[in-house]
Amino acid sequence: MASSERAPAGGAQALQGLRVVEFTSGMAGPWIGRLMAYCGAEVIKIESQQRPSVVRLYVSPRAPELGVQAALSPWFTDWDAGKRFVALDLTRPEGVALARRIVAVSDVLVENYSSGVMEKLGLGYEDLERIRPDLVYFSSSGYGDTGPCRRYVSWGSNIEAMSGLATLSGFPERACTLTQFAYPDAQSALHGLFAVLCALDHRSRTGEGQRITLSQLEATVCVLGPLLMQQLARGEEPPRLGNASLSAAPQGCYPCRGEDRWCAITVEGDAAWQRFCEVVERPEWKEDPRFASLTARLGHRAELDAAISQWTRTRDAYEVMHTLQRAGIAAGVAQTAEDEFRHDAQLKARGFIEEVEHLAKGHVLAPGIPLGLTGTPGRTGRAGAAMGQDNDYVFGELLGMSPDEIRSAVLVGAIEPAATERAPAP
Amino acid sequence: MTAAGTGALCGRRILELADPSGAYCGKLLADMGADVIKIERVGGDPARRIPPLWRNEASEDTSFAFLYTNTSKRGITLNLEPPAGRDLFLQLVRKADVVIETFEPGYLNALGVGYEALARLNSRIVLTSITAFGQTGPQCHYRSSDLVASALGGALYVIGEENDPPVTLAGSQAHVSASTFAASSSLVALLHASRTGRGQHVDVSIQEAVTAVTHICGVGKWLDDGIIPKRRGTSLFASVPSGAYPCKDGLVYLMVNRPLHWKALADWIHEETGNEEVLDPMFEGPSSRRQEHRELIDLFICELTQRFTVSEVYHEGQRRHIAFTPVNSAAAVARDPQLEARAYFVSLAHPEGGHLRYPGAPYRHSRTPWSLRGSAPGVGEHNEEVYRGELGLSAEQLGALRDHGVI
Repeated sequence: MASSERAPAGGAQALQGLRVVEFTSGMAGPWIGRLMAYCGAEVIKIESQQRPSVVRLYVSPRAPELGVQAALSPWFTDWDAGKRFVALDLTRPEGVALARRIVAVSDVLVENYSSGVMEKLGLGYEDLERIRPDLVYFSSSGYGDTGPCRRYVSWGSNIEAMSGLATLSGFPERACTLTQFAYPDAQSALHGLFAVLCALDHRSRTGEGQRITLSQLEATVCVLGPLLMQQLARGEEPPRLGNASLSAAPQGCYPCRGEDRWCAITVEGDAAWQRFCEVVERPEWKEDPRFASLTARLGHRAELDAAISQWTRTRDAYEVMHTLQRAGIAAGVAQTAEDEFRHDAQLKARGFIEEVEHLAKGHVLAPGIPLGLTGTPGRTGRAGAAMGQDNDYVFGELLGMSPDEIRSAVLVGAIEPAATERAPAP
Repeated sequence: MTAAGTGALCGRRILELADPSGAYCGKLLADMGADVIKIERVGGDPARRIPPLWRNEASEDTSFAFLYTNTSKRGITLNLEPPAGRDLFLQLVRKADVVIETFEPGYLNALGVGYEALARLNSRIVLTSITAFGQTGPQCHYRSSDLVASALGGALYVIGEENDPPVTLAGSQAHVSASTFAASSSLVALLHASRTGRGQHVDVSIQEAVTAVTHICGVGKWLDDGIIPKRRGTSLFASVPSGAYPCKDGLVYLMVNRPLHWKALADWIHEETGNEEVLDPMFEGPSSRRQEHRELIDLFICELTQRFTVSEVYHEGQRRHIAFTPVNSAAAVARDPQLEARAYFVSLAHPEGGHLRYPGAPYRHSRTPWSLRGSAPGVGEHNEEVYRGELGLSAEQLGALRDHGVI
């Protein structure tokens, strides 16, 4: 696959013709629509000035004096680029009526409002199934739609802590270890996308829609399956291993030259171990009984790690990686965002990083979407849209409302006019 | 051992030639009803013995990871390299919707069973390849591991404490991430193939999967403010306050993003500790308003949380709509009342005796429910069923293939 195939100017897309409507905030919900839009679906996000998504509560660090800049949030690009945006006041019956008209022409609905909110608005599955019987209606919440905690609030990092991930990960001496990327949000979105696609496959063969609910806590426990099974089967708390492995040694993240530079290394199997001893200039290790087998090396992990650190410490992290890779040993630099997005030759050759059109900033970079659809490559549409940016398209073109009808819907406060704001100087 | 399913993918046929980086992809499809046939090398997948094991006797194939990631599948053995093995594989491909594979780039092509060859036999076939770095690029033949992929994908650098070395997540999350992307890609390609009659080659890179998941909160911010995201303990830069806080008997996690949630927290701190300062309007609004007061606010919160147990902070905090949650051990997750009320964990008999409990459905479909239809298959458990029952081989043919080491 040539890199140019990643983002062609035209060409058929896999989900072309599919329409998704979403009532979402944060990331775990919106990322589903982001990925579907990338594959060619038309995704309409319904927002409200009354209750903006936290993602829109963005103050630019370069221009805090401008206050909240809802269309400029970089998270909004990452999670919502490529969608259509309308603004409705859903506390008014006229607003809800318009939302229902959008649902009536949509295939999929995605929502992650607090438990019970959609039902109260008259936008629950039972209400909407009547106007769109084959609708795939997907709800995501922290805890699921039943159970004593169903109304509890949580964010991605809360779920890291709740699911056991934070306690099971990290070095043995640390009580809990967290990511800077709210991993459960991404996994909830990916499992949600998969759940929706399953329902669409069923619908394509039977014509039937259905309701899907996802608990972000449960999806995150799923990605920890083997660790939980160990606890469930034997009552044992899985030990925190840090960067070590039970099936490869040495393995770790070793210090390299420079400030906060590291290279991860995995030596898997005895043949790789023999080659490794040559590369790190310790041929005597090949005959050393302390390291003669995986079991022996696991037993002498600390000594090995200390000696390997001595070798890596004086070397550039990329030099360590390429030298080991030339000998067929798994090694990789602990890369920063800058390393990956500016310098990674592999990502660059594959055209992974996407340049996305941004209404206020011209262009922005976005992490690629690694779906790898070589026959129907995805692409990200426009970023930086304001609330209500596409009111005219959706109400005019899609629903066929006349300019007069739209105007009176604005006058009664059902449709909220598009927001405008200034961009900070670059 | 697989019961007929009720899942959404019932009737879909998937062939899986996958190591641990792709096994979870096959599980996602199988538990939703697809007929996933796991094709193992003759003698069985070495992943069956990856520790920790359920039963510790070394001879037993009871890797927890293998048992978990291979539920609801059928299992056959096949050596792809001799021509007879290739022919059997191609016969299976004729009736399949998706093939999932994790070989080194170019391996299937060299055997004459790459995407082009499969598409000639079955134009609708989706071939999903999961590899460390993808099928192309200067490093596509580099070696990797879950840890190395997590490093190159940027995850390691932003996990853990500022002054510790970078550290990875438990549970092989690079492989899990690649698998969840691959499962969705396979279905997107399958939906497209159903509509157009044309399948495609899906090229999933584990490094890219980690990158997408890791930088979903980081890149835009870095480009905006020039600050490279790095490790910073338990708090998130953009959320003030956020992090793990001590209680009498353990830790709670707290995150505040909405102005209203801050108000609720400040009120509780004030009520409980008498702190007047916390009500200062300068702390109100979005997190950016509190950024420079983070340390002071953390002190206020500790004064509150240290007065209570984890459970008290959790439930009283949530009653006030503040996102407090316990920092759970695996044991606490296993007996969590919310998961219990939803009957989340599922018990399944193991064919060699005993029962195992599994994490349950990550999603609940009203019409086509998820289900565990059987334990991970034994080595070659479904050889007879598939080769004789479906491909119509005779007992003699099967015996000959076995004698020649093909199955």
